[in-house]
Amino acid sequence: MLWYIGKRLLQSVFTLFIIITIVFSLLRLMPEEGYLGAAAEKMSPAQQEVYLTNLGLRDPLPVQLGDFYANLLHGDLGKSVTYRTDVPVVVIIADKIIYSLLFGLGAVALSLIIGVPLGILMAQMKGRWLDRLGTGYIVFVVAVPAAVYYLVIQMYVTEIFRLPMLFDEYQPITWILPLLSMALAPTASYAMWMRRYMVDELNKDYIKLARAKGVKERTLMFSHVLRNAFIPMAQYLPATILFTITGSIYIESLYSIPGMGGLLVDAIQRQDNTIVQGLVLVFSSLGIIGLILGDIAMALVDPRIKLGKGESVR
Amino acid sequence: MKKYWFLLVCLIALLCTACSNDSSDEKKSEYRVVYSGEIKTLNYLKTSETNEFAVAANLVDGLIEYDKYGVVQPGLAKEWSSNEDATVWTFKLRDDVKWVTHDGKEYADLVAQDFVDGLNYVLDAKNESSTVWSATVVKNGEAFYNGDITDFSKVGIKATDKHTVEYTLEAPTPYFLSMLNYVCFFPVNGEFLAEKGGKFGTTREDFLYNGAYILDKFEPQNERVLVKNDTYWDKDNVLIDRIRYKYNKEAATVAPELFLRGEVDSASIPTSIIDEWFNDDKKKSQVRQTQNNFYTYFYALNFDPQFDAEYEPDNWKIVVNNRDFRKSLYHALDRVSAMLTVEPYNPQDMLSNTVTPRNFVDVAGVDYTLLAPLEPITSSDSFNKDLALEFKEKAKAALDGKATFPVKVLMPYNSGSPDWANRTQVLEQQIEKLLGADYVDIIVEAGPSTGFLSEVRRPGKFALLEANWGPDYADPSTYTEPFSVDGTYNKPELAEGYKEANGKTTYQNLIDEAKATIDTAERYDLFAKAESFLIEEAFVIPYAVGGSGYVASKLNPFEAQYSPFGVTSEKFKGQKILDKPMSNDEFKEALAKWEQERAEALVNATK
Repeated sequence: MLWYIGKRLLQSVFTLFIIITIVFSLLRLMPEEGYLGAAAEKMSPAQQEVYLTNLGLRDPLPVQLGDFYANLLHGDLGKSVTYRTDVPVVVIIADKIIYSLLFGLGAVALSLIIGVPLGILMAQMKGRWLDRLGTGYIVFVVAVPAAVYYLVIQMYVTEIFRLPMLFDEYQPITWILPLLSMALAPTASYAMWMRRYMVDELNKDYIKLARAKGVKERTLMFSHVLRNAFIPMAQYLPATILFTITGSIYIESLYSIPGMGGLLVDAIQRQDNTIVQGLVLVFSSLGIIGLILGDIAMALVDPRIKLGKGESVR
Repeated sequence: MKKYWFLLVCLIALLCTACSNDSSDEKKSEYRVVYSGEIKTLNYLKTSETNEFAVAANLVDGLIEYDKYGVVQPGLAKEWSSNEDATVWTFKLRDDVKWVTHDGKEYADLVAQDFVDGLNYVLDAKNESSTVWSATVVKNGEAFYNGDITDFSKVGIKATDKHTVEYTLEAPTPYFLSMLNYVCFFPVNGEFLAEKGGKFGTTREDFLYNGAYILDKFEPQNERVLVKNDTYWDKDNVLIDRIRYKYNKEAATVAPELFLRGEVDSASIPTSIIDEWFNDDKKKSQVRQTQNNFYTYFYALNFDPQFDAEYEPDNWKIVVNNRDFRKSLYHALDRVSAMLTVEPYNPQDMLSNTVTPRNFVDVAGVDYTLLAPLEPITSSDSFNKDLALEFKEKAKAALDGKATFPVKVLMPYNSGSPDWANRTQVLEQQIEKLLGADYVDIIVEAGPSTGFLSEVRRPGKFALLEANWGPDYADPSTYTEPFSVDGTYNKPELAEGYKEANGKTTYQNLIDEAKATIDTAERYDLFAKAESFLIEEAFVIPYAVGGSGYVASKLNPFEAQYSPFGVTSEKFKGQKILDKPMSNDEFKEALAKWEQERAEALVNATK
């Protein structure tokens, strides 16, 4: 197991190096007008040249790249240029991560608490009213674009219950709607997959045999069916939890939550290279760590899976 | 860390408790808005962005400000004088102005050296100030910025005593006073600046205040709150206690609804829903037009075509050098049709017949656009079907055998602007219908939404293009910059047949003569003559002025400081919150009254 994790981490460092180098180089192809903003129309060409030189954009690309990696080794992601001038990228990200984490983890917890039991109940009552009701909810959430029901919830629920439309961290009431909105889709997803895996499992021969041997339904469901049905979900759970850090672009926009959602898009639009590089590094790392943790989680819940030399889940 | 614990407690509390929606805010005069364009810095010495000026203007004062009619008033300077040729300007400062910290504690007195330190920071290239182009008006400013001079004492600014600051300029600059309305001439406390270094202006704590407000909260992408500065030298004129800006990426969409629910006090009403507001009895009384701004929009005919061969740049170069052809386009362009794409109710209110907008500058109360050389243009409409067809026939006759018809007219637009796209398509159909598809073939082309200017306008990849320009100081010369020899617009200096004996074009000589004249009346008259020439020769087709259209707001726009340039128009000082928003009828009435009062104020100011 340890050997496997070490190998995967080593591969990850190489992958990150490739990703960052490509993104770093591509960012340098952006039009220089973006760095100048409104000043582009007013500065003389000579003044623009001095300005861009001071930003370090006139250094050869390998030199810029070398400086970036040298700073990275000291834990310095650099300072923002056009997004929040002179503020360290680490500070900008840290300020926002907390909001996205709180909402994201809250939404994941809520959707697990509601979605998994719902899926189990739907599987147990297959074809009956609860299953149909749950299926209707799942179909609705999957079929209707999220932006539509997010907006409907914000506009009408706030009006009916006379709630503020905008998030205010010091008013707990304003936390509820964004959290519920965020939990709607993952709840449906967990319920759908849980139901599917449970139904698959319930139809297997060993379950029929256990039933024939008189094993109690409760023991059957929780000790055998649920554990096996949960294995495929366990693989994606770490990545899901980690990626709550990236925030929800639309929910955060709607309710004015100062989280990570949209930060990458904003930074790209403003041509803030340092933030884009920092975020690409963070998000790539999360993706890689999520995959590794997923493999480990599967190995933990499924004793048939062994992570050793030359072996992996995939 | 405490904050994070608090947030966690909040989250737990909301899951465990029933909460009430009551807010315990005490009733203070508070103005609330949502916004989507976040500021990137508080460092007013670095920025050139309008939304950052808007914050800085309320936190830090400059030497001068303006009253609500646009008459210059003492700010941090209580009096000033200049020498005869307007190259040396001396300002006497107030002695009761304090720098305070974010928590309102007095830090230091404002002194003349603060202005020297401010300009030193701006002109030091390593600080990457983006308003340096304005600051180089002072003697040796450009040389210091370029590194040709390293001794800042050689730059044209000095503190002659504790409360006197003196500027020496590169050239006679009679409008220098208005340039002081720009942040690059604002003061900074040198000691505080040195202490903070690169952190200056990154947080509310790393900032010093001497203006009407202090930042009580500054959380980018969340909220910023301004509270009244109790130590402000003119605090009796600060009538709003708190200003709360709430960030919302979808502000443009949600603001009207928030306004109706009473959660904000001002909201822009987009064109897409303006019908709904005007057709609803309750909403109708809450929406009004906005005042136009001083961005001027015009269609530029390119004298240096550099576009692809398939659009026949050589043919364009031949026809654009024919005055009759240019005049045919000038008179064929129906500006009202174009403006209807953004302003369906009052399109005429946004049209401008001149490059320099109305109400920009005046001579003893007479608006610049009504001075003799410009008056005929100002009081007529350039759109004239008969004249357009008349010039078309003349041009066809003159260009017969020299140019190919129909002339391909490449007309790009920024694909990031739906309004611009619509306008361009409207004009394509309208001009081709009027002049005939046998005469012109307008080719509409979508340009990039990012880097449009550097990809299209600056390299000259257009034949006819909508362009704009904003003023930087109170002088008509500011509107001549796009057409100067080193300009990056339509290169009118390359127009054939306008060279004079000294090797310069007629327009250049007119501008040079105007710039060399100190007397305001004579100077403005000469600029008006030059602008009239530019328009009469149809080098450009003036089109409109900027403005955001419609707004629902509890502010009276005629109480605000009036200034077409710089930052004082962004100040909340002098404004108060109305009990109910102004209707459009009330707005028009107030506008007429204000224009009359302004004319009187301008006359009185020159006495």
